[in-house]
Parts: sequence; C-alpha cells; structure tokens
Amino acid sequence: MERNKVLAEVQDIFRDVLDEEEIVLTDATSADDIEEWDSLSHIQLIVAIEKHFKIKFTSKEILSWKNVGELVDSTMSKLA
Amino acid sequence: MAFNTLAFLLFFVVVFTLYWFPLKGRTKAQNVLLLLSSWFFYGYASLKMLPGLILVTVAYYGLGLAIKSSKTERGAGALKTLGVLLGVGMLLWFKYLNFFIESFATAFHTSVYTFKLIMPVGLSFITFRLMSYVMEIHRGRVEPTKDFVSFATYVAFFPCVLSGPIDRPTFIGQLQKERSFDYDQAAEGVRQFLWGLAKKVLIADRCVYLIDPVWEDLSSASGSTLLMVAILYSFQMYTDFSGYSDMAIGVGKLMGFRIAKNFNYPFFATNVAEYWRRWHMSLTSWLTDYVFMPLNVAFRNIGKVGMCIAIVINMVVVGLWHGANWTYGAFGLYHGLLFVPLVLSGAFMKKHKLKTGRFDLPSLKDLAKMLLTFALVTIGLIIFRAENVAQAWQFICGMMHLETFKGLWMLFLDHDFMTRTGLIVILLILEWRNRKLEFPLVALKNHHWAVRWGVYVTLVCMLVMLWGKNLTFLYVDF
Repeated sequence: MERNKVLAEVQDIFRDVLDEEEIVLTDATSADDIEEWDSLSHIQLIVAIEKHFKIKFTSKEILSWKNVGELVDSTMSKLA
Repeated sequence: MAFNTLAFLLFFVVVFTLYWFPLKGRTKAQNVLLLLSSWFFYGYASLKMLPGLILVTVAYYGLGLAIKSSKTERGAGALKTLGVLLGVGMLLWFKYLNFFIESFATAFHTSVYTFKLIMPVGLSFITFRLMSYVMEIHRGRVEPTKDFVSFATYVAFFPCVLSGPIDRPTFIGQLQKERSFDYDQAAEGVRQFLWGLAKKVLIADRCVYLIDPVWEDLSSASGSTLLMVAILYSFQMYTDFSGYSDMAIGVGKLMGFRIAKNFNYPFFATNVAEYWRRWHMSLTSWLTDYVFMPLNVAFRNIGKVGMCIAIVINMVVVGLWHGANWTYGAFGLYHGLLFVPLVLSGAFMKKHKLKTGRFDLPSLKDLAKMLLTFALVTIGLIIFRAENVAQAWQFICGMMHLETFKGLWMLFLDHDFMTRTGLIVILLILEWRNRKLEFPLVALKNHHWAVRWGVYVTLVCMLVMLWGKNLTFLYVDF
C-alpha cells in the first residue's frame, strides 16, 4: 500500500475517533497540534488503527512515536 | 533551608548576584555555579546523603550514554531496565524496606530485625527525574547529554530538589541555552514567589494550629469540629504544597528557567479525573507517561475494563509514592475506585469546559459538581492524613454523624475557624477571577503601578504581622 494512502486512511481514523472533521494530518503533526489528541485518545486511535489495518504494534512503538510520520512508518513496516 | 527562612534568602541573594553579574552571558560558568549551589543546598539539608546524590548522578549520566551507544536493541533495553530497577530499588530500600519487614512481622506474629535507615531527603523526586532520563533516552525522545554539569544540575536543581516540581529531561535543554536577564520574567518570578509565600504563611501555617491538636485526640472531638478540621486540612495541604511549588517556580523564573507547572486551581475541578489533571501535575503526568500509559497500552484490547485496571493500579502507585503506610495505599485505591464510574460513563475522556453566566459565576450544576468533588477529595485527604486506616475510619464515622449537622451552626461562632475561612474565601475569589492565568498575581502586571505596589505592600505587611513559627513544608517528608 502506498504511503500517501496509509496517511489518508489514518487521517480518516483520526477524524472519526476524535470526532473532528477538520483534522488534516501531515508527517510532522504531533499531539501538540491537535487538542483532542491526548494520552487517553491516543490508545483509542491505536486500537482503531490496529483494527483497520489488521496489524499489531509493540508497546515500545506506541510509546515512542513523536509524530504522525513515525506512526505511519511503523504502520507501513507492518504492512510490508 | 526552606524557602521561608532567612538562611534561604541570604543563600539566594548570593547565588542570584553571582549568576547575573560576574557570570552574566557565560552559560557554562553559570551552570557550574548552579550545580555547586544546588549541591550546597542539598548538603545543607542532608550532608550525609550528598555523596550518595553525586554517586547516583554519575551512575545515571553513564547509563544514559551507554543506552545510546548500545549496539543492540536488547542491550539498550537491558540498560534502561537497570536504570529503572536502580531507581525503584532505591525507593524500596530507603522508603519501604522496614515497612515490609514490620508488616510481615505483624501478619505472622513474629519479632524481626528492622534496619536503621535514614531516608535521603528528596529521594522520591530525585529518583523520578533519574528514571525518566533513561526511559526517555530508550524511547528515543531525548538525546543523552555529554555535558555532566547540565545533567547533574537537572537532577539537583535547588528550587526543585527537595519537593519538586518533577521536571523532565527536556529541562536539560534549558540549561544548555544562553540565558539573558528578562525583567518581565524576573518580576513575574518575584510575584509568584510572593504569592506562594502568602498562601503558605497566611493560610497553611495558620490552619495547622487548629488541625493538629484535634488529630492528636480524635475521640473527644465533636462531629462539627471534625468536619471543620477535614475542610481546613484540604486547604492546608493545597496552600502548603502549591505555595511551595509557586515559590520554586518563582525562583526558577528569577534564574531564567521555566520549571514544570504543578497546580492548576484543583478545587475548580468538576470531577475527580479533572482534579488529578490539576493537582500535583508534575507527578501525575510522570505516572501517566510511565505507569498508566504502558498499562493502558498492554490492556488496550479489553476496552474500558483494561482502562479501569490501569487507572486503579496507577492511583495506588500515586498513593504509595508518598510513603510506606497502608493509609497511602488506601488513599490511592480510594481515588482509583472513584475513577471507575467516570471511565465506565465516558466522563473520564471528556474535558469539561466550565460555562459561566452573569457576573462570571459558574452554573449551579457546575458548582454542585465542584462541591461534590471537593467533598470526595476531602475524604481522601482524611485517609492520607491519618496514622492508620482505623484512625481514618474513626474520623470519617465521627464526622458523618447526625450530631455534626446539628452542631454546624456552632462553626459560625468559632472565631478561629471563621478567620481562616475568611482568608480561604478571599483565596478562592482571587483564584476564580484569575483562573485562566498561571497564578492570580499575574493580573497585576496590567495594573497601574500604584495598585501593584499597594497589593505588594499589603501582602508584605500581612506576612510580617502573621508570620508564625517557620513551619516546614508538608511535602519535604516525601
């Protein structure tokens, strides 16, 4: 799957989970840029992404992402 | 050398003068001064433990560099685990060992040997700073520093070393940047220090005299007296600890630093989850990152039940962090259980924004929620303050008595209670009106100089008039 497509699908998940249609993700987007994205909603986002792509992240991956780019990189590596 | 002593004032004047005059613009020399003064400050509190502080600082400095240079992921993980175990081990050894031994002896009706251990001052705060350093390096979110002076200053920075706030390793970045004297920031630092000192001297220290004697003889106290003591203790704890934090942050600003925020008007929280987002924030955010989040990640596939388990464990850790006593464990468990309905109803996830009507007053619904939250928190603090769980239960039963409500009117005739309540009401009004600011006195900067100085002079006069014995800060014991 292409990287842009993964990013677009992750963006849809963010909009759905955080209930905010205006969210636009780039690789550099971090939790500081989206008010609703906190430590609690982070878990909901992970569960939704794992379910959608049928993948499983490790705890270390989940706790070490600094931005959306790194999240998408991890997702891509699982899909490869 | 507590902040509210002449010794600290003299110490700080010397450090401040050297820092901003002969050493101005020389970042490395300023950091050496900060480190030496921080070690002096720590040695002044506990000279015996100073070599230990230096030793663990060297150990974690080396561990940070070793994690980064480790060739394998497994090696880096093992070093991080070593760092965490060392930190937890220090806490267990100094804080909890005798408690475990005594609990074991009580349970099995046997006599045992306990160790004569002196807990290093500030241990809980120092170990948390050290552990977050190795964990952040392992997560790849922070680079280890080769600059030992900056690292050691981060660990022992004198405003925070004894009672927090618990800064994160990103603070090292602030130490490595050049600082220029900013008059506005320094003035804000003085205002915040003054605000913290006022809370400590005018409210916390004046409540102690009403609270402590009652706790010493609970059986002879009436229900309404117990209720009064419970309410006053919540405010004593808040004004003492937030007062200390404001003073630490104020000192930090005077030296050109932004220390982590620790309180955000917790008594305006409308539920317990919100309260914990506003109370001792540097500790709760630390535990959120390193205890709650990993647990929540591990339990993520069992939904809300997983979240409940993670939060209850997290809150028990919050309680036990304060020390080795079943009361702290019970305090944590009590708060953890209060979260359960919030998680199940979904209220835990929502950040409630206060709506205000005319005259900037909260709605009745929000006010009722704030009062309920305050009542729940106050019950928690009774457990926290008690010497054992049985005493806490005795206090709560004594307070929840029909006689308490019959005797309530007597509180209004109690001169001591009413003077403290008057000051607390003034505090709450000032906090409510300025709740969007970091602390209420920030608002002064936009006022005419005459108003500003009027407030300063009034506060200083009140401090001089009401200055009691220099009571220590409650959180120094942790």
